[in-house]
Amino acid sequence: MTLTSHHTSRALFALTLLSAMLALAGCGVSAESGGKAFRGTTLAHALPRPSFTLADVHGQPFDFRAKTDDTVTLLFFGYLNCPDVCPVHMTNIAAVMRNLPYDVTGKVRVVFITTDPARDTPEKLGAWLANFDPSFIGLRGTPEQVKAIEKSVDVAPAALGAPDSSGAYDVGHAAQVIAFTRDDSAHVVYPFGTRQMDWAHDLPLLVQVK
Amino acid sequence: MNVQWWCSARGIPWKWQWQPYPGVWLAVLALGAAYFRLSRPSATGAHEAPSSTGRRIGGWIGVALVWMALDWPGGPLGTGYLASVHAAQFLALAMIAPPLLLRGIDGDRLRALFERNGAAAKIIRALTTPLFAMIMFTLVMLGTHAVLIVDTLMRTQLGAFALDLAWFLSGLAFWWPVVIDVPLRAHFGPPMRMLYLFAGTQAHLYLSMWLLLAEYPAYGIYELAPRVTALSALEDQQVAGGLLLTLGGTYVLAVISVLFFRWFAEPQPDA
Repeated sequence: MTLTSHHTSRALFALTLLSAMLALAGCGVSAESGGKAFRGTTLAHALPRPSFTLADVHGQPFDFRAKTDDTVTLLFFGYLNCPDVCPVHMTNIAAVMRNLPYDVTGKVRVVFITTDPARDTPEKLGAWLANFDPSFIGLRGTPEQVKAIEKSVDVAPAALGAPDSSGAYDVGHAAQVIAFTRDDSAHVVYPFGTRQMDWAHDLPLLVQVK
Repeated sequence: MNVQWWCSARGIPWKWQWQPYPGVWLAVLALGAAYFRLSRPSATGAHEAPSSTGRRIGGWIGVALVWMALDWPGGPLGTGYLASVHAAQFLALAMIAPPLLLRGIDGDRLRALFERNGAAAKIIRALTTPLFAMIMFTLVMLGTHAVLIVDTLMRTQLGAFALDLAWFLSGLAFWWPVVIDVPLRAHFGPPMRMLYLFAGTQAHLYLSMWLLLAEYPAYGIYELAPRVTALSALEDQQVAGGLLLTLGGTYVLAVISVLFFRWFAEPQPDA
């Protein structure tokens, strides 16, 4: 086929179109959050940071009040076989912690108290939490100890569901993460549905509360 | 069994257990019946542009794509669990199935239909006017990917149905002037069609870049859904953006290339 001016102009047209496509494809946008109010649910009355000691995943006693002093402590009650709320909360907090600067994350502790100590052995609890973030702290206690702690922070006590034919059971538990700030009080809780964008917005603000 | 007629985001853990979606079957059956009627070669027409067997089969592939995009497992996965599957659904429903279906339609049968039914012809003519179709397609694309709209509508069967329908219908209108010459638009030749495809898919590129570059998951339904794969919600969203950019972008580029080379090879008009 012989190229003519007719073909050349068509080729130029195609090149121009292709260049414009490539140039425009290189442009992007990114999302950013703004504002200062907490996106979590603000409590009418602040909760005091509780004092208790439970066993960590190494079997060592963990004095909650002493070991989380002067930190933002995100306290959550859940269990490893939880199909939705627990992994989603842990995933979202871990994802945000990876993105925030150390001057924020260095002041944040995540404490997960199992409501199903019969199945959540120390090894399983440690491995499960390490999947999200190795810094997450897992604690175990007797059902009575856990119920007392739940009561002290105003959350409904966990309840074991009826086992199915295979012996598996669900555990009904509170779905909110309680955020204790460095003033040893919790002013805000984060229900299920809290987004990563919300954590990214609130964690730096929580660290400032003292 | 709790039967849903259309897929919606339910927030419950995913199970690889088949679920019936009768609404999807009815919609696909209706689409198949309409396509069967319109793709048969006309017995009375002038056969100016008979639809080839290949094109007719392509149209049936389009019907199958619509079915796969809407029924289990793709439908519920894309509606409530994985943004990447949602992106694949968009490509199937709005970008790939419509031109396949339109190419399979018999031109003579369509012309006869236009002559018989003037009101329908007027409506289709208006909806498929290139500028109008392009603007509508862009607005539908942007609107149906807005966070608030997705997170609200996808939670209900009616809302999810509305989104799927909007994608498919706006896709049909968008691709119509590129694929079908009924009504004949003499001013809308190959260069205009190439520009039209380029301009009409710009929102698509921006959306894919936004999904790729976002720091956090954009959509609550996917972020808060129990995970189905080892991918995090953000990684899944990046796969969605990547699919739209690479698969969608390559596809549009390929169509533009085909239009160009056909145009390039056309006989030179007399001076």
